[in-house]
Amino acid sequence: MNAAILVQAAGEFTRTSGGEAATFWVLAPVAVLAALGMVLARSAVHGALLLVVNLFCLAVFYLLQDAPFLGFVQIIVYTGAIMVLFLFVLMLVGVDSADSLVETLRGQRMAAIVLGAGFAGLLVFPIGGVISGTKAAGLAAANNGGNIQAIARLLFTDYVFAFEIVSALLIIAAVGAMILAHRERAGGKITQKEMLRRRFAAGGPVTPVPGPGVYARPQAADVTPALPPASDDPGHPGDSGDSAGGDADSPHPVGAGKGAAR
Amino acid sequence: MSAPPTAVLAQDALAQSIQGTIDVPPIQYAALSPIIIVFGVALAAVLIDAFASARTRRLLQPPLAAVGFAVAFVAVVLLHGRRQILAAGAVAIDSPTLFLEGAILLFAFLAVLLVAERRLDSSGGAIVASAAVTPGSPGATAARTSAAVQTEVYALMAFSVAGMLLFVSANTLLVMFVALEILSLPLYLLAGLARRRRLLSQEAAMKYFLLGAFSSAFFIYGLAFLYGYAGSVDLGRIADAAGTATANDTYLYLGMALLGIGLFFKIGAVPFHSWTPDVYQGSPTPITAFMAAGTKVAAFGALLRVFYVAFGGLRWDWRPTVWTIAIMTMVVGAVLALTQRDIKRMLAYSAIAHAGFLLTGLAAANSDGLRGSLFYLVAYGFTTIAAFGLITMVRTADGEASDLSQWQGLGRRSPVLAGIFAFLLLALAGIPLTSGFTGKFAVFQAAVAGNATPLVVVALVTSAIAAFFYVRVIVLMFFQEPVMDGPIVVTRPTLTYAAVGIGAIMTLLLGVAPQPLLDLAGTAATSGFVR
Repeated sequence: MNAAILVQAAGEFTRTSGGEAATFWVLAPVAVLAALGMVLARSAVHGALLLVVNLFCLAVFYLLQDAPFLGFVQIIVYTGAIMVLFLFVLMLVGVDSADSLVETLRGQRMAAIVLGAGFAGLLVFPIGGVISGTKAAGLAAANNGGNIQAIARLLFTDYVFAFEIVSALLIIAAVGAMILAHRERAGGKITQKEMLRRRFAAGGPVTPVPGPGVYARPQAADVTPALPPASDDPGHPGDSGDSAGGDADSPHPVGAGKGAAR
Repeated sequence: MSAPPTAVLAQDALAQSIQGTIDVPPIQYAALSPIIIVFGVALAAVLIDAFASARTRRLLQPPLAAVGFAVAFVAVVLLHGRRQILAAGAVAIDSPTLFLEGAILLFAFLAVLLVAERRLDSSGGAIVASAAVTPGSPGATAARTSAAVQTEVYALMAFSVAGMLLFVSANTLLVMFVALEILSLPLYLLAGLARRRRLLSQEAAMKYFLLGAFSSAFFIYGLAFLYGYAGSVDLGRIADAAGTATANDTYLYLGMALLGIGLFFKIGAVPFHSWTPDVYQGSPTPITAFMAAGTKVAAFGALLRVFYVAFGGLRWDWRPTVWTIAIMTMVVGAVLALTQRDIKRMLAYSAIAHAGFLLTGLAAANSDGLRGSLFYLVAYGFTTIAAFGLITMVRTADGEASDLSQWQGLGRRSPVLAGIFAFLLLALAGIPLTSGFTGKFAVFQAAVAGNATPLVVVALVTSAIAAFFYVRVIVLMFFQEPVMDGPIVVTRPTLTYAAVGIGAIMTLLLGVAPQPLLDLAGTAATSGFVR
């Protein structure tokens, strides 16, 4: 919000053309409203989308102010990549999961509003006072030889060290995300042999049991299928089939080759 | 430019960028070697984590980190006396910086010993086996007793130490900001890696992260104002600009205030202290020790540099604010420590009170104050690491016995351990013959010399209040009957013994024979920060 006010104030004193002024006065209220909406929106997705609007407006301001590289990077990186990632995360967490709006500390929200407004006033009024008396230097000198070239020059001279060490932050972020999200399998992968051993050790039917609705033990077509079991034990259809169908002498194992394992 | 066809324009730009002469600034790798070594250790640790088996990782990571910090310390020693600005003005090394860097590396070494300890109980130590397992889920119990360890903790510590080294040596606010993030981000993660009481640990990490991000925002807001004021993020250039009267001083003062908030948050000064007790309590205790010692040195080092170098000419403007903050910090820290029932929380409030005592050294705003602050930081770091290390050894079946009532009568059952703890508490209270006394004496003396006598009076009163709760713990340990089924003192932890022993011996040495270190700090302070 403050950034928007800064831009707004700066716009008044660096006005160069009617087109620029018109663009500014159209977009500035949009930027401010979007920023406010982002804070006040109940739904996180609406908040994220309003932030996109705000960042986009700022990007246009950057473009107006002779900083094309910054403007486009703002659109590509912030509104493009970061906000999309943000939305991904919101969708993963669940769009419906809203924050609890119950105040755990009494009077906290009121105090936050008062103090926040006070802090904003403390910042805005002095800055407004200073800006109104300052002449804009413009970016002509800084953009000498091209905007991107000038940025590249700074990046590889004055700020080369800062530029290099930022890489550490990216590594930390990657490692951190992995620590918080990656679960190592406890005790390695189970082999097929171990799986079979476990099945035998546990007792019970060793082979897969027949699927639901199958009551016959043999698969042959000449054997009459068993009637549904009297007992309501669905776990051992073959057993109940025994008594009903009377094919106890069948050599076939229970449900051989049929259905899925229980 | 006029309007040539786009293709030609692009070719022009390409040619310009190929033939263009950018004078790449020299990077003095030798002078940057401590930082580069620690970054190297961090990267090697990440690679080992990525490719080695779980067992190899557990064996390899602690020695790698410990040796890395030791080598970096040697590099710092070899650099002694160097005084220059490196890497196109990004980094400065001078005697105070090297002093602080050496202290950070020593504390990091001791903290690695505490983190690597695996013999405190049958599980794999204080660090969680797998941070991604949700507390209360089926795997959580197995994870608590598992021998596995989240070995990334060493890589994160190395990154954090690299950030701390860079934080104290940053010569521009931009590098300082990046260093602040490099030191903080791993700490946010480390705070959430406690093996036991996972929810408390995660809450600590969350709180630390949110409040830390908030304070970083203040820091960078202030940075922007100062850039707007001076047209540079270089500390020396800001000082130059502050020396010449201009119309828009508003930027300067706003920037100074906002930057100060970011730095005061990191040292845990009131009113930016509210994260400290929760984070100290929730973090794994070895990490708390690392944080309490290392972060305090790093943040205070950066604070000293900013206020002495960039705002040195404005000391009459910032001294009243620093006074106020120092008084609030001392009073709130000491008074709230009185009410604590948890030993880690008590030490956290004690850390806040100590930040206040350290600020009296800054409020002195003279070279003696710098000397006192440097000495105090080292003395406090050793004592606090030893104290937290000792807490890890007093255990019940549920982990550390953190509640004060469980410490009742400990002196009867383990007189040696309770004796050492009592000694450390006396050092924190500032009783003579301990390093705490020497440190406080040095700082208060400087403050009196710097016309800050009222501040010293407040500091003495709060020291007396603080002494009360330290002595209360001692009385609890020695003059009360042991509780039934009280905590057990673990007897085998070699590494913890080493860390606690070194910390306690240094606390004694710096109390009995402080002169060598005082001289070192004095030499560093007289030569001052390079600009």
